[in-house]
Amino acid sequence: MEMIIFKSALIAYFVSTVGYIASILVRRVFMAKAATWVLFFAFILYGAFIAVRWVKAGYSPVVHLHDSLSFIGWAISGIYLAFQMKTKTRVLGSIVSPLAFFLIMEASASGGLVREMILPDILKGWWVSAHTILALIGEALFALACCAGIMYLIQDNLIRKKKSYSFSRLLPPLRDLDRINHICILWGFPLLTLGIIAGSIWARTVWGSHWQWDPKQVGTMISWILYAFLLHQRLAIGWKGRKAALFSIVAFGILMVAVIGVNLFSVTVHRFV
Amino acid sequence: MSIILVGMNHKTAPLTIRERLSLSCDSADVPLRKLKQISQISEALYLATCNRVEVLAHLEDREGGVEELKKFILSHGNLSLEELRSCLYVYRDDDAVRHLFRVASSLDSMIMGEPQILGQVKDAYRQCVEYKASGIILNKLLHHTFRVAKRVRTETGIANNAVSVSFAAVALAKKIFGFLAGKSVLVIGAGEMSELAARHLMANGVNRIIVANRTYENAVRLANDFHGEPIGLDLLDEKLNEVDIVISSTAAPGYVITPEVVVSALRRRKNRLMFMIDIAVPRDIDPAVGDIDNVYLYNIDNLQEIVDDNMKVRLKEAEKAETIITEEIIIFSNWLSTLEVVPTIVSLRRKAEDIIAGELERSGAWMKNLSDDDRDKVKIIASSIVNKILHDPITSLKEESLNGGADPYVAAIIRLFKLGHDE
Repeated sequence: MEMIIFKSALIAYFVSTVGYIASILVRRVFMAKAATWVLFFAFILYGAFIAVRWVKAGYSPVVHLHDSLSFIGWAISGIYLAFQMKTKTRVLGSIVSPLAFFLIMEASASGGLVREMILPDILKGWWVSAHTILALIGEALFALACCAGIMYLIQDNLIRKKKSYSFSRLLPPLRDLDRINHICILWGFPLLTLGIIAGSIWARTVWGSHWQWDPKQVGTMISWILYAFLLHQRLAIGWKGRKAALFSIVAFGILMVAVIGVNLFSVTVHRFV
Repeated sequence: MSIILVGMNHKTAPLTIRERLSLSCDSADVPLRKLKQISQISEALYLATCNRVEVLAHLEDREGGVEELKKFILSHGNLSLEELRSCLYVYRDDDAVRHLFRVASSLDSMIMGEPQILGQVKDAYRQCVEYKASGIILNKLLHHTFRVAKRVRTETGIANNAVSVSFAAVALAKKIFGFLAGKSVLVIGAGEMSELAARHLMANGVNRIIVANRTYENAVRLANDFHGEPIGLDLLDEKLNEVDIVISSTAAPGYVITPEVVVSALRRRKNRLMFMIDIAVPRDIDPAVGDIDNVYLYNIDNLQEIVDDNMKVRLKEAEKAETIITEEIIIFSNWLSTLEVVPTIVSLRRKAEDIIAGELERSGAWMKNLSDDDRDKVKIIASSIVNKILHDPITSLKEESLNGGADPYVAAIIRLFKLGHDE
């Protein structure tokens, strides 16, 4: 049952990806509109898949690296859809949809989703679920902020070159991109903060201390400080545009190194399964 | 006799050179006066806009005068020979007429189909008439030009969606701000282009407009048109932080907006994006402003690139316009070629009238015996015989001139009637 839901979600993500890319190639808005609806459908399906797994297992299914990545993919598509209701930034969908599709497909190909989950009991608590889910949604928001930031830099560059690029017309207006970047960080930052707090509370109960000086924790903390700084500059100093976009890209890069890179290449107490 | 057009436009000359040319013609009457001093030139028109500087002249003889015209541009714009050679174009006769028709019909404009250029040509002609620099040829040519421009505008779609700098400006503003509702615009200096741009922006949602002008009265007048706020130029720096879009088109010789002013305004507006359009030549906004984060500066040359895309659509309409222009060139050159035989016809008639007068005088003694009534009758008969004899050759001459083959006939008539020796 859950595999059927998963496969149909994956197919829906694929169809919406194809739809978005085709809409860019043939420049037809109705295709992008259709792709948005398909993406919405895919988001619901994958959400159902996560729910089914959660209920079946009795604890949060978002623990493994692959689970986490596909959860980020799902969260990004959801956040994008929320933005889509507010701003007309369908072209963002043509990045988000393939990204979500790729993340979820990667998780399934590596077998992470299919195999039976054997979890140590210490990872089954509420604090772990809160920690991973909050942090991952925060990371998804930061990923989208990074996407918007990259697009901002491209669009900014195109406008500054003062030539008429047809590509530039595909990109959303600068102000929308800046706003997406800002809102994503504005929401992502408290979520990541809460995630870290939840994690440290849990760490206190199992490891006896809130903070371990683990590479993953340190990396996350560096990017947390960067985001805090960026948010401060945005709210207090009034940073906007290129500088903020650049900063959010760098901060996200560091966050990714901390979350994925450390897991793969370094010794960490933060890797569990 | 020859019509000649020399000049440079936005396609041949970069902004820096055009800037120098238009800078030196602030005292608008000087060019025409200088041109009239060139002996080979019998009529001249001087047209200078942001995008072109052109001299249209009627030369007495074919060869002379061209070098003098080039020299005029050279000294007028303070250019080097090298710059001149790379920028200048020279058109003669039909080509010159075609160029003028194309310019006035807005086919040669930076933004094809923009409506301002016809007004600028009209202004140039008005000035030309004021300085008595126009004569029979230019008068006819310019009136014909206005007719052609009107025909092009009504018979083709080239001006259907009246776009100019404004169209590109609105498209760019949308690329930066998304929706323009709630945005504000500052118009510095008056001018058709900036007014048009402001109107387009307002039609797209911009709802606050500030008008700055060196003379406050002008600001008030323009602001009334837009329901905007007038300010003097002295308040410019202070108000800059309140606006999202700036359109500048003053005639000021230096920069009106400097990077320092923009940086300070940005700080006060918390770095919200600004879009600045400098359509003045010479430029109003220091180009260094374009390097500031969150400010996008476009000058008049930059805007050209943007509209190239939209041009493709207009090119089809332009083809129709070219056909109209080709038709009109034929009509004008027909008129021009009949003009070539006019002096011959005039002197032929004068000779005939002289003969009549001479013969009547010689018969004076004999005619004294006639009554006044009869004397008049004799005079009438004499002149009607002469007219009847001359009628066919004159008509034929005009017909030949339309085919461009009048030269041998003109020579023959001058020779046969010894017209040259009379003078």
